[in-house]
Amino acid sequence: MSERPTAQELAEAIQEFLAGEILPTLGDHRLRFRMLVALNALGIVYRELAKLPPEDEAEERALATQIRAGDVPPGTLERVRAGVEARLRIASPRYLERYD
Amino acid sequence: MIADVREAFQLVLAGVLGRDVEVSEPVLLAGGASKEAWAVDADGEPLLVRRAAVGVIHRHTLSLEDEYAVLEAAYEAGVKVPRPYAYVPDLAGREAFVMERLRGETIGRRIVQRPELAAARSALPVQLAGELAKIHAIPAARVPFLEKAGFDRIVEELDAVGEPHPAIELGLWWLRENRPPPRPVVLAHGDYRIGNVMVDEAGLVGVLDWEFAHLDDPVRDLAFGLVRAWRFGIDDRRLGGIGEVEPYLERYNELTGFDVRPEELDYWELAGNVGWAIGCLTQAHRHLSGQDRSVELAILGRLGAEVEYEICHLLETVARP
Repeated sequence: MSERPTAQELAEAIQEFLAGEILPTLGDHRLRFRMLVALNALGIVYRELAKLPPEDEAEERALATQIRAGDVPPGTLERVRAGVEARLRIASPRYLERYD
Repeated sequence: MIADVREAFQLVLAGVLGRDVEVSEPVLLAGGASKEAWAVDADGEPLLVRRAAVGVIHRHTLSLEDEYAVLEAAYEAGVKVPRPYAYVPDLAGREAFVMERLRGETIGRRIVQRPELAAARSALPVQLAGELAKIHAIPAARVPFLEKAGFDRIVEELDAVGEPHPAIELGLWWLRENRPPPRPVVLAHGDYRIGNVMVDEAGLVGVLDWEFAHLDDPVRDLAFGLVRAWRFGIDDRRLGGIGEVEPYLERYNELTGFDVRPEELDYWELAGNVGWAIGCLTQAHRHLSGQDRSVELAILGRLGAEVEYEICHLLETVARP
């Protein structure tokens, strides 16, 4: 399953936000110190994620191409929804409760 | 940033109002990558100044000059909008326009939830229909620079992103297969929903954010406010989290004579979701491409899955492919 931003790209975005926008506003030196520690920790996460193999998106791409070509056999909706649900369980699990 | 902000505004606003004015210290309300919004008072008159920012203006949005012209056309047609004052080709080196600064609430979550806005929520469905009917009656000849939009445009945007999204493809497929007979195009606001209107205790104060105006099927505009993402968590109120669709549709039909059927609204509600699902991806790619680095834009790439889930839900309940 392909997901952008990847976890690594998200870690990078958070790092830029904290270092660029929040850190300069912190006056309290203890908070500044802990923010620098947190940024170091985030750097570890970022580099560790870099070692993961890229996710295989071949199946999703084949399905998307097939639907674009107008080939929509029965069961397609169920297959598509299962893929979306799996992504939501990572991205926004509580959203699913809104359909109960 | 401008060296002397107040001086720059003073100069421009004196020109706009045609007299010497006392100008308050301008306050930057929003500083997006493409457009800024400044609050400033001139002789106590509350004004809002939209000004171009450094970033690239993203595709398919109007220039400030065209957005101003649309605002003017809407104002002349009696649509509730901030009174337009003037387009300013050069405010400290960038184009801008000046309009009235209305007072009220624009934050969607507050509009759908705040107890003191309960009466506004009851009034809004009919008011929203009334303003939209007025917008759709503006002659297209009044805004000749506007372009037509269709599905080609969003498919192009999806392909530019280049990621596989089977749910979006399935939505697009169903929309192609089940398209209702096209209606003559009208001036469409393009983003007509809670979050882009100003509201006070009595209801609608003004229609804002005209940068997505274009020519389109009127029902696309009518249905966009039904998209679940714009219900701000109050999912059982299908019209923007504030009310029911029936009085809204009935009033719109009464005023326009368009006789829009509920099934047509269902169709364009699905289309609105497909459009916003693609919108989420293109927003995330503004971050990923480095055009506009922002954690808020980045996360939309993931939250788009919520919209895709809604597409599946609508396909099952409304469309049954």
